[in-house]
Parts: sequence; C-alpha cells; structure tokens
Amino acid sequence: MRVLAAEDRIEPGMIEPYAIATVRNVMATMWRRDDREVRNRHRVFDPTQPDDVENVLVASEEQLAINEALRRLTDRERQVLLAHEVSGAATQMLADEAGSTAGAVAAQLKRTRARLRVEYLLALDHIEPPTDRCRPVLLALSSADRRRQREVDAARHLLECDVCARLSEPLLDRGPVRDDVLHVTIGADPDIVSARRAARDLAAQAGFTGTDLTMLATAVSEVARNIVRFADNGDVTIELLERPRRGIRVVARDMGPGIADVEAALQDGYSTYSGLGLGLPGARRLMDEFNLVSEAGHGTTVSMTKWFDPKGSA
Amino acid sequence: MNSGPALVSILRQGDTLVASVHTALDDSEMIRFQNDLVRQIGEVRARGIIIDVAALDVIDSFGSRTLRSIADIARLRGATTVIVGIQPEVAFAMVRLGMDMGQVPTALDLEEGLAYLARLRAVGAS
Repeated sequence: MRVLAAEDRIEPGMIEPYAIATVRNVMATMWRRDDREVRNRHRVFDPTQPDDVENVLVASEEQLAINEALRRLTDRERQVLLAHEVSGAATQMLADEAGSTAGAVAAQLKRTRARLRVEYLLALDHIEPPTDRCRPVLLALSSADRRRQREVDAARHLLECDVCARLSEPLLDRGPVRDDVLHVTIGADPDIVSARRAARDLAAQAGFTGTDLTMLATAVSEVARNIVRFADNGDVTIELLERPRRGIRVVARDMGPGIADVEAALQDGYSTYSGLGLGLPGARRLMDEFNLVSEAGHGTTVSMTKWFDPKGSA
Repeated sequence: MNSGPALVSILRQGDTLVASVHTALDDSEMIRFQNDLVRQIGEVRARGIIIDVAALDVIDSFGSRTLRSIADIARLRGATTVIVGIQPEVAFAMVRLGMDMGQVPTALDLEEGLAYLARLRAVGAS
C-alpha cells in the first residue's frame, strides 16, 4: 500500500493545466501502477501478466474513490487544492488572493492533502469510520503531526479500532522515514528482545552510552514482558525527545485486562504470576520519569522517560 | 536449540559444565537453556557448573530469576553453580532494578569461576 507515498512524485507532473478529470485519471493510474509494482516486486521471476480487466476495474474504483474524497472536502479546500495542483497556481498567488500569507496557504494545502488521503481511503473501502475518534486520529496520522497524534492518543486508538488500524497502514508508510521514533509490536517472547534492542539502538544513536543504555533496555524488557504475560499483545513506541531536553521516551500500550490496583502493582514484591514482582517498580527505578495509566478492561499504558545526562553516562 | 546458530553452548570439562550464552535470549529460550542444562547435570554427573553470561545484553527480573532457578536446581542435584561474566553496565542495572544473584556465587570471568570451583573442591577434599 505505497499508493499514497507516491503523491510527492506525482505532484510536479500535475503542474500542467490538465482538466480535472484528466488529473484524476493520471493520479489513479500512477497510484495503481505504483501499487502493482510494489505488489509484484517479490515475484520478478513470475512471468504471469496482471489481468487487464482486473486492473481497469481497480482503476475505475480508485477514480471513484478520489472523486468521492474530493467531494467531501469543503468548497474552499477543494478550490485551493485544485488551483494549486491542477492549474499550477503558486502558493504566493493564492495567498494574495485570499489576503493571507504563502506559509498559511501551504499549511492549509498540507492539511487539505492530509484530509484528501483520509477521505480517499474511506471512500475506497466504502466505509464510514465506526467512532467519532477515528477521523481525528486518521487525520493526525495522515498529516504526520506528532503533537496532534499525541493529543488524540492515536497509538491507543489504533490498538482499539480495527478499522483504523487497517486504514492507517498506508498513512504510516508515507512521508520521510522517521529515524527518531520506532514502533515494536509485542505479541510473543522474541518481541521482548526486539523491543529492548530497538530502544538500545535508538538511544545509542542519540548519544546515550554504557549504563544508561543497559538500564533503558532493562526497563523496556520489563514493560514488554508485562504485555506478553498479561495482555497477549500491544506495542512499544520508542521516541527520541529534544525538548525540554534530550531524552528518550518509551510508551508501552496494551489492550489487556488492565491493572486493578496500580498502587499495589508498583510496590516491590507484588506479583500475579510467579515472578518476583520487580517488573514495574524496577522499571520505575531504572528510568527518570514513570507514569502508569490503567483501567480495568481497557488496557494499560506505561510511559517512561530517561533523560540524557552527559555526566551520568560517561 | 532447534535451528540456526547455537544460542548457548554447553561444554564438559572434567566434572564441570561450562555453559556460554552467545547472544541475548528471550524468555522461552532462557527456559529451554535451563532445561537443557539441568538435564546435562545428570547425564555427565557434573559437580560444578559455570554459566558465562558475558553476551547477555540485559539481565532483567526474568533473566536473574531463571539463573537463580538453575543454580537452585543444580544445588539439589549436587552441583555448585557459578555465574561469570556479568558486564559492569548489566550489574549496575541489576542493582538499580533491585535484583541480585541471591546465594549464587559469581566470579569476574571464566578463569575466576574455574578457580572458585577448584578451591571448593580442595576444601571438600581436605
């Protein structure tokens, strides 16, 4: 599903003043071609030609979806987007018309494109999002807006909402590959090792060394294990922070039964399986900040941060 | 170890088993290691066991609990276990986590571990 990732490559080609319909065709064709290429890349030796009829069908479906998505934008959004993408109007010119600045118009275009992607995906599947939270979450993902994603707690929503989890796949793939954030899906024992390796690698990249790396990896190991033991699956997000100062944040989320007594779970020796009960309180001691939110039946989120300390990691 | 390169090697040297962990182990691998080692104690009639954990990136609550279990089981089977090669950062993190090796003896490296077992044997013989 790299269809949407190709958008940036397509845009320059659309500066030609094509008719709207032509642009839709071009977009559909290119997205489709790109998609097919990705799908077929792994079977280079397979001489089977893709079925033409099927492709025509796919193309017309995609075109319908784009039409539908464009229709769902507001008049103003559609007008500006088309003026820019189809007629090649520069942002500065559009800004002058609207009595605004080029930056504001560019930001607006970016938001519109993000919305268009979301509406396209929804239209392609002929579905309406099941909850009120879906659209804001998808939009935040589509625009790659991290602050907004945190505000709407996008990661948790993706765990809860199957529809969004599926729809968001192409949205998560697009844009420049972020090298300061990692997601590790946790479902079984080996994932615990993957998660702590990922955390260690990312932290090393940020300048963490020695003991700090090991403490971080150990804490990640504990929270990831809790997911495997109690919730079967969840995910761990590891993110580099620059503000308020350099650090690394780990967020572990699951959709498990939740922790009935959070206070007790943070005490040494509290254990519901044959562990030592040092998992959560231990992780808290290994990190600088630690926060646990849990609701019975609605899973658990552990957020913890380690700050970069040049003195401490010598 | 069913496939791929060995995660752990267990070598016999006289009445001592030397188990070297070659890479980070996940929980199931850790349990398999425990079972393999315990089985071999009986097979080779080992009196001493050295577990070299220098390659472990992390010894978390589960890891240290398993190592202690191995030592406890081995003791009941008549063998002494020494853990060697705990990296300085790992040791630091273990202390912070609130873990230690309990009554299980530890030594800096394989050489020190073998020396420790030799001393025990000398004491036992005299």
